[in-house]
Amino acid sequence: MNKIFLLTRWVKFNTVNHCYQFLSMDTKELWQSVLTQIQFDISKANFATWFQNTEIVSIKDDKAIVSVPNAFSKEWLSNKYNKLIAKILHELDDKIRDIEYIIKPQGVKKEPSIEKPNIEQLNFEEFKIDKETNLNPRYSFDGFVVGSFNELAHAAAWAVSENPGLTYNPLFIYGGVGLGKTHLLQAVGNKIALAHKKKKVRYLSSEKFITNIVNAIRNHNIDVFKNTLTQIDVLIIDDVQFLAGKNKTQEEFFHAFNALYEKNKQIILSSDRPPNAIPELEERLRSRFEGGMIADISFPDYETRLVILKNKIQEKRLNLPEDVLDYIASNVKKNIRELEGALNRLLIHSRMNGSLPNLDTAKRLLKSYVFSPFDVANYKKIIESVAKFYNLEEKDLFEVTRKKEIVKPRQIAMFLLRRELKYSFPAIARKFGGKDHTTAIYACRKMGQEFEANNRLTEEINLIKQRIYSG
Amino acid sequence: MKLEILKNNLKTALNIVEKVVGKNISLPILDNVLMSAEDNLLLLTATDLETAIKYWVPCKGIKKGKAVIPVRFLSSFISLLPEEKINIEEKKQNLLVECKEYKTQIQGFNPEDFPLIPEVSDSDQLLIDNKKFCQGLSQIIDIASPSQARPEISGVYLHFSSNSLKIVATDSFRLAEKTLTIENKKECSIILPQKSAREIINTFSDKEGDLKICFSSNQTLFELSMKEFKHPQAQIFSRLIEGEYPNYQDIIPLKFKTNIIIKKEEFLNHLKTASLFSGKVSEIKLNIDPSEKVMEVFAKSPEVGESTSSLEIKASGSPVEMAFNHKFLIDGINNIKSSEVSFSVSEEEGPCILKPIGDESYLYVVMPIKTA
Repeated sequence: MNKIFLLTRWVKFNTVNHCYQFLSMDTKELWQSVLTQIQFDISKANFATWFQNTEIVSIKDDKAIVSVPNAFSKEWLSNKYNKLIAKILHELDDKIRDIEYIIKPQGVKKEPSIEKPNIEQLNFEEFKIDKETNLNPRYSFDGFVVGSFNELAHAAAWAVSENPGLTYNPLFIYGGVGLGKTHLLQAVGNKIALAHKKKKVRYLSSEKFITNIVNAIRNHNIDVFKNTLTQIDVLIIDDVQFLAGKNKTQEEFFHAFNALYEKNKQIILSSDRPPNAIPELEERLRSRFEGGMIADISFPDYETRLVILKNKIQEKRLNLPEDVLDYIASNVKKNIRELEGALNRLLIHSRMNGSLPNLDTAKRLLKSYVFSPFDVANYKKIIESVAKFYNLEEKDLFEVTRKKEIVKPRQIAMFLLRRELKYSFPAIARKFGGKDHTTAIYACRKMGQEFEANNRLTEEINLIKQRIYSG
Repeated sequence: MKLEILKNNLKTALNIVEKVVGKNISLPILDNVLMSAEDNLLLLTATDLETAIKYWVPCKGIKKGKAVIPVRFLSSFISLLPEEKINIEEKKQNLLVECKEYKTQIQGFNPEDFPLIPEVSDSDQLLIDNKKFCQGLSQIIDIASPSQARPEISGVYLHFSSNSLKIVATDSFRLAEKTLTIENKKECSIILPQKSAREIINTFSDKEGDLKICFSSNQTLFELSMKEFKHPQAQIFSRLIEGEYPNYQDIIPLKFKTNIIIKKEEFLNHLKTASLFSGKVSEIKLNIDPSEKVMEVFAKSPEVGESTSSLEIKASGSPVEMAFNHKFLIDGINNIKSSEVSFSVSEEEGPCILKPIGDESYLYVVMPIKTA
C-alpha cells in the first residue's frame, strides 16, 4: 500500500516537473517575441528602461504572469503598455487574455570585489561569515594545499563533500593547532552548501555550541534548540575537545548526534587529539565519534611549506625572492599559521619601506619566528602540557596519591622530562615531591616500554610533544 | 493648468525635489519635475526610479492640469525672480511664468511620459518623532560603505522591534548604531539605500511633527503631514536593498582591557593635529597609560615630519598602544554630542568602542590598524 502511494507521488512529481520545463522553454520564447514586437512601437530609451529584466514567470489558464524588476516598472507596464502587451500576447497565443505583473527584485549586481591587500587596516572579519551556515566563504578546497601530512584527511573530506551522509559518517579530523583543520572542515561545508542549495549546512565551534545550549537551558527553550539541530543536513562542530567535562552539553549533543545519524545526515567533527584521548568524554559519545572515519593532520614537510608560501604570496600579491621563501620554509616549521605570520611581517616591512626584503633583512625580521623561546622544551612547559592534555591542574600531578588518573600522567611527565630534557633520575624524583629516584626509574622504564608497544599511548605522547613544541 | 503661487514657497519646494534627480542619460524625462495643480495645492514629483519624492506646496489654483519641466533649469530660474506672487500657466506642454515685470515661456515635455510613482498600500505603518529620527539617521548615515561590492552594507539598516528602533551602518572597518525608543507593534527590518536616507534628512530634518513610515514588500514610504491641515507635506518613496544585513551584534565587544574617558573637543584637536602628520596611510598611534592618566597621540610621515602630543584622561585597565586611521576616529567623535567621550579597547588589534558619556543611545565601533 505504502509503496503504491509513494509511486504515484513519484510519477506526479515527475510529470509536473516535466510540464514546468516544457512551459518555461515556451514562455521564454513567447516573451522574446513580445519584446521584439514592442520594440517597434516605443522609443529605445523607454524600451531599455521599462522592459529590462522582465520575463513571463508562468502561465495560469488564461493569465500570463510577468515579473518586473521594480515597482516603477510595474506601474508603468500595467498602466501604459498593458493593452499593447496583451494584444501581442493574444495574437501569439490566443488562450492568453489577462496579464498580471509581479515584482521580482533583481539580485543587486555585485561588483567583483577587488580586495585591496590592505592588511594594515583591520576590519570586522565576522561580516564575511555566511549568516545561515556560519561558514566563512574564504575557506575552499582550492586554497587547501595537500601533502603527505594531510592526504588522508583531505581525501576523506573530499569524499564526504561529494556524497554527504553516505560515505564516512561521522568524519573526525584531528591534529595540532594551525595545521588546517578548520580550513578543511569549512571547505567541506562550503562545497556542500554550494552544490546542494537545499541542504542545510551549519558550522558551529564547540564554544558556540556550549553557549547555545546554556542559553537554551536558561531561556527554557531547549526543545526549540534541539529542533533546529535535528533539521540540519550537515552539522560541523569544530574543536570538540572543549566538550570535555561539559556533561549536559555532551548529553544534548549525544541526542542530536543520534537523531542526525539515524537520518543519514552528515556529521563532521574536529579536535586536537583522537577521540580516545579526549578526557572526560562520555564513553557512548567516544564510541560514536570513532564509528565513522578518523583522519589526522600532522606537520607539513618542507616542500609543502614552500607550496603553501607560494600560494599565500600570490594571494597577497607580494613578490619575494626565492632564497627568502626557502629560508622561511626551512626555518618556520611549527605550523601553517606561523608561516602566514612570518609572511605578514615581511609584507608590512615591504609596504613601509617600499622595497622587497632580501635574505638578510628577512633573517633579521623573522628572528622571533625562527628562534622563538617556544621551540625549546623546558620543565614548566612539559608539566603544563601534560596536565592540560589530561585535563588536570598542574598541582594534581604532584599530589601524593595512587589514583589511576593521576599516576599515568605523572609517569608520562617523568618520562618526558627524562627523554626530552635529559633530567637525571634523582632530579626528577626531587621535582615530584621528594620521591625515591627508583620511582622515577620505574616510571620512565615502564613508559618507555609501553611507548613502543601501546599504539594509543604512542599517539598520546606524540600529541603532548606536539603541544610542548608548538607553544 | 493655471495657478498663482508665492515665489518663496515654490523655490523651497523645487530645491528639495531637485536633489532626487540624478544624471540619467538613458531616460531624459527623469531630469524633469512633474507639476500637478490640484485645488489649493501644487504637487511636485521627481524621481530617479530608485527614490521618488512628492512635495505639496499651497497655491491658488485656477485650473487643474499637469506640466513636465526640466527641474534644475526651473529651479535656478525661479530663485532669480523677485519675492512676489508668480503666475504659472501651462500651454501646449510649455510653461508660462509671469512675475512682476518678467514674462517667460519654458519648454516642457509630455506629462504622459513621466514615470508613475508606485503606491505603497498602508498595510504596516508606524509613527515616529520626525526630528529624533532625522537626527539619529544623520549620526549614522555617513558610515555606510561607499562600495557596491557588498550591496547589503551599502545602505542603512533599520531594525524596528517592539519598543525600539536601531539605526545601523557599517563599512566593515567601523560600525555605528543609534537606538531610539518607539512604539511599534510588528517587528521588522529594512536596508535603506544611503541616497534615500540622505533625501529623508534633506527633506524632513528641519520639520516638526511625526513621520509616518509605511512598509511594503520591496519599498518603503516616508510621509510627513502639513502643520496647517491634514494633508501630506512630503512623501519619499524608496526602493529597499535586498539581502540580509550581517549579524552585527556579534562584533560589538563586551569585555574591555582598557577604558578611558576624554574631553571630546580636546581629543578631537589632538587627533586633527596629528592627522596633519599622518601622511598617505592616515595612521596615528595612541599610547594609553592608565597609571599615569595620560594618552599620547603620535603621527609620523617621511614627507612631513612627526608630531607627539599628550592629553589628560581618566582611565582604568592596562596600558595599551594602538594605531588607527585618524579619519575613522574623527568620524565617530564628530557624531558624539556630549562634552566627554568614553573610549574602550577590547584587546590589541581588536574592536574599540567610542560612546558619549551620559547617553546610551549612540555607539561607534572602530577597528585599529595592525601594528606588528
